Amino acid sequence: MKWTEADIALFEKEKEYVDTVVLPLVPISMTNNMKTIVSMGEYISIISNELERQLKGRLLLLPAYTYLISEEQTFKTDRLKKIEVELHKGGIKHIITLTADVEWKQVEDQISSALLWMPAIPLEHMDEQYKMETVSAQVKQVLQFVTNTWQSNINS
Amino acid sequence: MAKKKEVTRRQFLNYSLTGVGGFMAAGMLMPMVRFAIDPLLKEGAKQDFVPVMDTSEITDKPVRKEFKIDQVDGWYESEVTQSAWVYKDEKDEIVALSPVCKHLGCTVDWSSNPAYPDQFFCPCHAGRYTKDGVNVPGTPPLAPLDVYNKKVEDGKLYLGKPEPR
Repeated sequence: MKWTEADIALFEKEKEYVDTVVLPLVPISMTNNMKTIVSMGEYISIISNELERQLKGRLLLLPAYTYLISEEQTFKTDRLKKIEVELHKGGIKHIITLTADVEWKQVEDQISSALLWMPAIPLEHMDEQYKMETVSAQVKQVLQFVTNTWQSNINS
Repeated sequence: MAKKKEVTRRQFLNYSLTGVGGFMAAGMLMPMVRFAIDPLLKEGAKQDFVPVMDTSEITDKPVRKEFKIDQVDGWYESEVTQSAWVYKDEKDEIVALSPVCKHLGCTVDWSSNPAYPDQFFCPCHAGRYTKDGVNVPGTPPLAPLDVYNKKVEDGKLYLGKPEPR
């Protein structure tokens, strides 16, 4: 489900079935390396949109968590933790954070969400057909990750 | 004789007024008529069929085919990817099912759960459908999968819109 009025109405009705949130972590910078920073965000948003399409009924795609690339890591982490607390209060069991920014890997153990880091693939110069294949291959693996998260929760 | 054929000033004014008035009326009426019949014009454009695959490739095992359609969503026009599960049933007829789960809209997969081979399985809430797309009672979905409008032309399968049963 998306962060839109129509989908949220459905979410409130079917709350018991939606226990997962996908939160893209997207860096911002206007001063250096803009293109690399943008490609990280673009890639992650393509992947998360596709993920939402496939698993619409059980996950809610949140608007991206944005931060300045120059922001201190502790500050970013604290802010993310606050979001996590809020989401858990709202009855969400699984939070999946998607990012292309490797910095998050270092604080993975401090956050309660399942962090999925993947390097951004530059899609800019690919032709349409190849782009589709690349993205769907990636999404397939992310799907696996998400369904595994659900399964491990049933067993535990 | 010559006098009779001449156009009087009054006649000339009458003609030109009718002409100009006619144009103005037409100018006002045309958009109204267009608005009134607009839904009819649109319907034709929406029923587009998209070529998906060769019919010779279709077997009795469902395969997932992705294709793109143009979608207008308010002011936002985009290409969206749609998928279909395509196979031949026992009567050798082609069946194209929409993979969108009737429960909450996840994408169902064919025999992806080892416990239930030969069934469509929804990874979100373990909804199941038999091969013909009918929901298995006791699982979350309450309706069978949608079926695509389809036609076969020159050995190619064309798909239209998915329709609920």
